[in-house]
Amino acid sequence: MLWVDKYRPRTLDKMFVHEEIAQNLKKLVAEQDCPHLLFYGPPGAGKKTLIMALLREMFGPAAEKVKLEQKTWKIDAGTRTIELELAMLASTHHVELNPSDAGFQDRYIVQEIIKEMAKNRPIDSKGKKGFKVLVLNEVDKLSKEAQHSLRRTMEKYSASCRLVLCCNSSSRVTEAVRSRCLNVRLNAPTVEQIIEVLELIGKKESLQLPPGFAARIAAQSNRSMRRAILSFETCRVQQYPFTVNQAVPAMDWEQYVSEIASDIMKEQSPKRLFQVRGKVYELLANCIPPEVILKKLLLELLKKLDSELKHEICHWAAYYEHRMRLGQKSIFHIEAFVAKFMSIYKAFLIETFG
Amino acid sequence: MGKRKAVIVLSSSEDDEVRDRSAGGHQRPSKSRSNPLSTSRKRIGKRSKETSCVGSVSRPSPKLEAAKFATLSEDFSDCLEDLHLARGNQYWKELWIDKYKPSSVAQLAVHKKKVEEIKCWLEDRLTKSKGRSGNVLLLTGHAGIGKSATVRAIASQLGAQLCEWTTPTPTLWQEHVHISNLGLRYVSKLDEFESFVEKVGKYSLLFPNNFGLSKVPIIILIDDLPGTNGRAAFVKLKKCLMTLAHSSQLPTIISITEFSEIDLGKGSTSRYEELISILERAGAQKVAFNPLTVSSIKKVLSNICQEEKCDVTLELIDQIAKTCGGDIRNAVASFQYCCVRPDDFLLSASSTQMTTNTRLDFTKSRSSLLTGQNGHEPLSFFLVGRDETLTLFHALGKFLHNKREIPNALDLDLGSESLVLCKKFVRKPLKMDVPERVLSQAYGQARPVVDFLHENVLDFVSDGAINDAWMVSSYLSDADCLLALSLHIIFPSLTDMHESKSISQLVAASVAVRGVLFGNVQPMSSRWHTIRSPKLWQIEHLAHQHKNELMGAKCDTYGIGVSMSEIVTEYLPSVKWISSGITDGLGDGKYEHYPIRVNSSSEHGFVVYDSKESMSNEESDDDEIEDW
Amino acid sequence: MAPLIPSSQPWVEKYRPKQVKDVAHQDEVVRVLTNTLETANCPHMLFYGPPGTGKTTTALAIAHQLFGPELYKSRVLELNASDDRGINVVRTKIKDFAAVAVGSGSRQGGYPCPPYKIIILDEADSMTEDAQNALRRTMETYSKVTRFFFICNYISRIIEPLASRCAKFRFKPLSAEVMSSRILHICNEEGLNLDQEALSTLSSISEGDLCRAITYLQSSARLYGSSISSKELISVSGVIPQNAVEALFVACKTGDFDFANKEVNNVIAEGYPISQMLSGLFEVIISSDDLSDVQKARICKRLGREADKVSTL
Repeated sequence: MLWVDKYRPRTLDKMFVHEEIAQNLKKLVAEQDCPHLLFYGPPGAGKKTLIMALLREMFGPAAEKVKLEQKTWKIDAGTRTIELELAMLASTHHVELNPSDAGFQDRYIVQEIIKEMAKNRPIDSKGKKGFKVLVLNEVDKLSKEAQHSLRRTMEKYSASCRLVLCCNSSSRVTEAVRSRCLNVRLNAPTVEQIIEVLELIGKKESLQLPPGFAARIAAQSNRSMRRAILSFETCRVQQYPFTVNQAVPAMDWEQYVSEIASDIMKEQSPKRLFQVRGKVYELLANCIPPEVILKKLLLELLKKLDSELKHEICHWAAYYEHRMRLGQKSIFHIEAFVAKFMSIYKAFLIETFG
Repeated sequence: MGKRKAVIVLSSSEDDEVRDRSAGGHQRPSKSRSNPLSTSRKRIGKRSKETSCVGSVSRPSPKLEAAKFATLSEDFSDCLEDLHLARGNQYWKELWIDKYKPSSVAQLAVHKKKVEEIKCWLEDRLTKSKGRSGNVLLLTGHAGIGKSATVRAIASQLGAQLCEWTTPTPTLWQEHVHISNLGLRYVSKLDEFESFVEKVGKYSLLFPNNFGLSKVPIIILIDDLPGTNGRAAFVKLKKCLMTLAHSSQLPTIISITEFSEIDLGKGSTSRYEELISILERAGAQKVAFNPLTVSSIKKVLSNICQEEKCDVTLELIDQIAKTCGGDIRNAVASFQYCCVRPDDFLLSASSTQMTTNTRLDFTKSRSSLLTGQNGHEPLSFFLVGRDETLTLFHALGKFLHNKREIPNALDLDLGSESLVLCKKFVRKPLKMDVPERVLSQAYGQARPVVDFLHENVLDFVSDGAINDAWMVSSYLSDADCLLALSLHIIFPSLTDMHESKSISQLVAASVAVRGVLFGNVQPMSSRWHTIRSPKLWQIEHLAHQHKNELMGAKCDTYGIGVSMSEIVTEYLPSVKWISSGITDGLGDGKYEHYPIRVNSSSEHGFVVYDSKESMSNEESDDDEIEDW
Repeated sequence: MAPLIPSSQPWVEKYRPKQVKDVAHQDEVVRVLTNTLETANCPHMLFYGPPGTGKTTTALAIAHQLFGPELYKSRVLELNASDDRGINVVRTKIKDFAAVAVGSGSRQGGYPCPPYKIIILDEADSMTEDAQNALRRTMETYSKVTRFFFICNYISRIIEPLASRCAKFRFKPLSAEVMSSRILHICNEEGLNLDQEALSTLSSISEGDLCRAITYLQSSARLYGSSISSKELISVSGVIPQNAVEALFVACKTGDFDFANKEVNNVIAEGYPISQMLSGLFEVIISSDDLSDVQKARICKRLGREADKVSTL
């Protein structure tokens, strides 16, 4: 078991960060007045952890008895029937799923699942907790139509189920959905909090942490708790006892991107552009999301760049990132960005060095 | 009938006849009259002079009606005859295609290099002692570009006897029934071919007995491979060809007509590719014929023109040569057809020329060609001309090579007067048709075209010109966005959807093509390039596979809440580290591991796509591409 | 829902005025409509104006006052944006509803009960143009027996043929005082404790949208109990605290890329919604003193473009 899972807080009381929010949630549950919830925040902020703890708070340990179901949905969409297969994690009280996995048919999934959940809701002997919780991950990746139908079903079945939505960016969730939920923003843990957690884990694992080591991991983690713990464990595997100036290994794809970046800095020609394309292809074939590639590439390039060029490059990165979302094939846009960078950088080199 | 009556009334004198004829010539664009009819008019005119009373009678008596009917029926038979008549009462004894078949090497319109190549090969095989392998020559190319003619001409020059296999005429069903009633077994064409191949293997043994001392060298020409239906038959054919290639003692020439993908669907092209590759592997030498150039076709046509003494303008010849798409047989045939009424055709040809030039919307062009038959347009010249299809790769080659006219001082002056452009936006005129038209001729679908351009365009951008590379890729990115847009628009009705979908795809293709043409300011000097099939397709395929694998594993190990990108970017790399246990030193060792895994899998991809890749090879010999 | 969690009826519904005359701050509209109610003769109507100014409330109140609770169900069709309102719905659902004839206009139980039906189309500006066009025909065909109430934020998104058939009513944004009084009323009813600062914060974050203000109030009451501070209101509303916006603005003004970059990373890590951040920046820039108008215009142009990008996703 990975440390990330091993040391995940299980209850609202044990939350390392966001204690205040946890307490408020607890109050909500205690009052049995739980609206639909929308959690948003950057990756690694603890949304997932919080939701799990919340479910436990609501339903007790039964919420943790989950089983994985690969369920096929038959959906009658007007003229034809669509079959969709989607994995879902279900306990007697809640269902968790990732509707955006269904791709462009996501809207059918949302409607259908909520309908079905409303149909067979558990009836307690005391008539208590007669509702189910549906946890939907990555709602920001849902299509507009899906969000729209989400809103409709939310109203229709609000008596029988509660929705817990989870996403990175609430800007991409329509106002209509947002306004029907209690919005909970989870900020990324601060560096100090991360250090604290790392030291705690170190203590529990009875490891000797050299001074400043946890701080270094935390600094590289980009304020993501998950990332920090993962790299901490990696360091542990890599070398123990820790040395004072032990390098924190970057993720392999990140190293690959930084290699691409230095390729780009070395030579600016169509031929090199072609080589870069090949390398980006490799990343894409490994399912690294294109926007992540572009972002990382930008960061690596910015590191090596003169500050006067930085904002122009940033502008173009944003431009092509937007294009990428509009378009179909990400490579076209990544490549256009690289070409633009090369073009700008070459002009700059010629201007400064002749 | 009514129309005919009117004609009779009008044409009561010789003069009228002339007037009518010329009027007919001009009217025809607006009315759709077929050819025989117009000639019949002339006939009627003549006849009406003989029986001059007809025209003036307004209410014809029954007797006259009968007489008229007689004349009409005579007219009809005349018309029929007319079809076989050339102008000036000269009978066409044979088709010009046969009449002007090239009899000597000098008359061939085929590129000299190719002719020389074949000649050398034949000479080589005929003079040298027998018993060596590789006695098979493979000729490929589109229909009507002179493959067989070349062989025949060379054979006659070398004084060799040509022994031809042509596919026997197909057995009709009645015939088949008849034969089987007689107790004969039906022999399929393929079987016949098989036995022929067997015979060829033995032929050299028989040959000295037959001809004794005469020693006439023999060349076997297989002009037409029997059609195959179904996998089994095809395998059989392949086997036949293999044995042929291995066993043949005599120089054997196999000519295979290349058909474009659209004619027969994908299956048959791949078979065609397969046949070629089999033969090549069996040691056959391949000579690929390219479509004939416009100028050489023009030369042939004007030769015929002189021989036949037809007064056709150069313009017409030019037209025919351009529209035939490098198919000389077609060119000659349509030329002969045109000579029936050269003036009509010139007219219609020039008018269609006009319309096609102004026509940008290239999907419409096909439908308007069809409507030209019965609509307002005259008998379209394009119906006579070969349907101009280029292969997709030809079109791509054109775009990528980006050939432009050498600027002419005079032209530049003119240009600056009409439209003032910033200097950096000025490009020399293109050495090709309107790109959209080229694309339509290639039946290019937007998405594959864009993908192909993306894959290959960087090869054609010259080394230092990174700015050009950016411009090109930026336009391609535009095109991609447009394509994506065409998927996402929601349309109120189905017909609207098809229309706007196709329009936005057309626009996307146009943006991509023109972007490539415009952005590549300093194209690489022309040299031989292979056009690769987009690697992107493999990558997408791989990524998809990979994703599915991960999806399967994801739920088991990480639970549902973890998003795909988190797994790939954070969990997987760490897990890889952690599970591999204690390692030596820093991360370098494992880091190496990463790209290699990708490579091996992508190599796997290559094997799958290999056949496709060979298909996409395209020769772009300079002189041949630019002319037509 | 009611048996499970009785307290969670949305306050927006709970405190929605039931009578036209109770609608806050829209005096002209109320005056005209009261007349209408007395004669029980109303034209097609189009209510437009910013969100949360009482449009829906008014429409519902009219319907209720005309038909009373008994007939309401059979005489009034409510369709809001969450219902599927493609062209097909217009063709079938609305038509079906409109086509069924109604009884004569006799008064029942003290309500006027005029002999027509009412179709309320909430958020009509989100209807497609085709659907609106289809509606136009339906309106003409059934004008004797139906009245349409259109409710929208932007009148420009209603096609002209539809708009011209309706009596238009513009709803003004609510003033701070009106809002405060309503909020205080609710606070009294629900037993909430709201200090002056929290009150002004509430009216500023809800931007004149009473509906939103009430939602915020209810959310924070759920989370934080009966005494609510302005900070809690801000955290519930998802509005970005002013100092975060200011910090980014200051960072941008330095012209130092790295500094700004750091600040941006911070914003991302805090998880502030980008669209809100942009509108926050917009406010700051507009009210900033040390920027020239040309500068402001340029910056706003850029901001607009980026906001567009965010919203297209």
